[in-house]
Amino acid sequence: MSLDPLLAVSGLETHFPVRAGLMRRQVGSVRAVDGVSFSIGRQRTLGLVGESGCGKTTVGRSILRLVEPTGGRVHFAGTDVRATHGTALAALRRRMQIVFQDPYGSLNPRMTIQAILEEGLVIHRLGTAPERLERVRRALERTGLTAAALERYPHEFSGGQRQRIAIARALVLEPEFLVLDEPVSALDVSIQAQVVNLLVELREQLGLTYLFISHDLSVVEYLSDEVAVMYLGRVVEHATAAALYRAPLHPYTLALFSAVPRIDPAHRRRRLVLTGDVPSPARPPAGCRFHPRCPLAERVCREVDPPATAAGGHLVHCHVAARELERAGGDADSAAAVVADMMASTPTATLAGGGGS
Amino acid sequence: MNSAPATRSAGFWAEAWGRFRRKKLAMAALAFIGGLVALALFAPAIAGTKPVLCRYKGQLYAPCLGYFDRRLEPAIFAKDRFRGTYPTNLAAKDPESWAIWPLVFQDPYRSVRADEWPGLPANPAKDEGRPSPRNLFGTDQAGVDVFAKMVHGTTIALLVGFVSMGIAGTIGIVVGAVGGYFGGWVDMVTSRITEIVMCIPTLVLILAVIAVIEKPTIWHTMAIIGATGWTGIARLTRGEFLRLKGSEFVMAARASGAGPVRIMLRHILPNALAPVLVPITFGIASAVLLESSLSFLGFGPPPPTASWGSILNDARSNLAMWWLVAFPGIAIFLTVLAYNLIGEALQEATDPRLREARK
Repeated sequence: MSLDPLLAVSGLETHFPVRAGLMRRQVGSVRAVDGVSFSIGRQRTLGLVGESGCGKTTVGRSILRLVEPTGGRVHFAGTDVRATHGTALAALRRRMQIVFQDPYGSLNPRMTIQAILEEGLVIHRLGTAPERLERVRRALERTGLTAAALERYPHEFSGGQRQRIAIARALVLEPEFLVLDEPVSALDVSIQAQVVNLLVELREQLGLTYLFISHDLSVVEYLSDEVAVMYLGRVVEHATAAALYRAPLHPYTLALFSAVPRIDPAHRRRRLVLTGDVPSPARPPAGCRFHPRCPLAERVCREVDPPATAAGGHLVHCHVAARELERAGGDADSAAAVVADMMASTPTATLAGGGGS
Repeated sequence: MNSAPATRSAGFWAEAWGRFRRKKLAMAALAFIGGLVALALFAPAIAGTKPVLCRYKGQLYAPCLGYFDRRLEPAIFAKDRFRGTYPTNLAAKDPESWAIWPLVFQDPYRSVRADEWPGLPANPAKDEGRPSPRNLFGTDQAGVDVFAKMVHGTTIALLVGFVSMGIAGTIGIVVGAVGGYFGGWVDMVTSRITEIVMCIPTLVLILAVIAVIEKPTIWHTMAIIGATGWTGIARLTRGEFLRLKGSEFVMAARASGAGPVRIMLRHILPNALAPVLVPITFGIASAVLLESSLSFLGFGPPPPTASWGSILNDARSNLAMWWLVAFPGIAIFLTVLAYNLIGEALQEATDPRLREARK
């Protein structure tokens, strides 16, 4: 968290109205994102992880105003994104681009690659036609494709190639910040590695800042400086990647990490299997949002929404973790070990690999 | 389709055409409609009593254009009192003259008199006019040649479909696109309007308008069919726009700074157009049927305009004149069938889901 973050999000809320009845009256709202705060320093990468439906995609789209946020503040390079309209918003969008998860759905099937890549330049009236073509070529070559692709249509490319085209489209406007919305989740594992390496290269060459959204924890670890874990519209834990992967403090983070398969027979760990389903974001539980599924839940968890506790590069929203941190005198590592032990001794823990013993 | 190194690869429409081309029935239907278009364009050269081209008093004229519009018939023939009969007058008034005649010397608007064409007897009238080598499809009560009437009526059969569905397609796509894209109260308003228009019985509205208007023409009928026939197209377009506006490529376009107009025209419409073309094709077929029904009921274009439906109407007074039912009936049937076949093939050629299933 540098002093001058490129992107600062505070208390971001994106609620979708639920309408019903003949008059389509609003009967409630789905709180897809419900008070998310974080900031990303220049040329840093924040990984945003969480299971499907936790609102991580909505966070990315809300920052670019592709989905209209309903509350909170988003500042990009000192500009209030939510207060920007018309041409100022268009100008801001030149500096913030997005790569989507599905490379089959994110490219218009009726347009040639050249038309797709050139569009942003045409909209922003950048350069003459030959200059635009040159920029399109450059962006395409940066992503490892050749100019031969220009006259072709999206359906003629493989998933990995399409994702490279989608990245080239984002790059052609020469943005400073990229939202990468699960950019490799839809790809084969071998292709994933290529695309991830491409993203690392581009970050170094172009000095880009990333918000990397994913549910793949190992890819996030590889790419990110910091990681924020989301659950049901909230960030439950935010820490530097090293600190988070070494010593996760939040019970949800622990459960999430224990689900990652490791190819290491010596490393037989207890796997934490959460019971129950994620509650509906239309009716989030009172107190800590994770309490109905948390094996460590106490009375206070059901009643009081846990505030943020900072220690050792962590920012964690958990009553139990906060207490253990206090006991350990602010030493995140030892507090994390205590929380992990508590989790491992609950009935939700089963031995990894086979039916357990 | 050959193996030359393609600099520009086949786009969606080129591929769809490739698939369409493989459907023999649909191609036959397309050829049939193409034949009708040619028939309509060259109608005065196929059947008529006015020369396609003639030389008269040292000048070249094309009196046959008078069939498209009365004003196109050169004034000199009216001045020289031809009264519509060219062969004898040309020979009598300018022995030097020559003329190229239509393939069939029969007029769609009047009966041919005896010896109007050297050696040609007058057309039989009443129920005498059964099909013969001189009158291929017979003649009607007034002795007018049915073949000539039908050839000249092709224009209306085609125009009704294209003009009314052109109007309906435009209204439907605009209303559906606006409602689907903007949603909210805009969608509420356009959807309710669509539903209201849906409730209007087209046939009754046309009859009412024809009763009110002083000089009803075929254009009024087409305008009403167009103004009421857009509801299905609007609903389909709305659905497509609703589906596509949330797609990731539309979001990517918005992220690139594209405004609503650009997104609707460049991104959504090209993807929504294929499924919308199908009901437009079926709409053409039903417009042709509707015009025929109107003419059959006697509310078609006023005489002397020829339409297939009005020939059917003539048959009502004497059903023994089977040729007045059979030929226009077959023509209407084949035309409607052709449009339906084209619509169905278009659906299969452009629908990606059906395409996947066939691979």
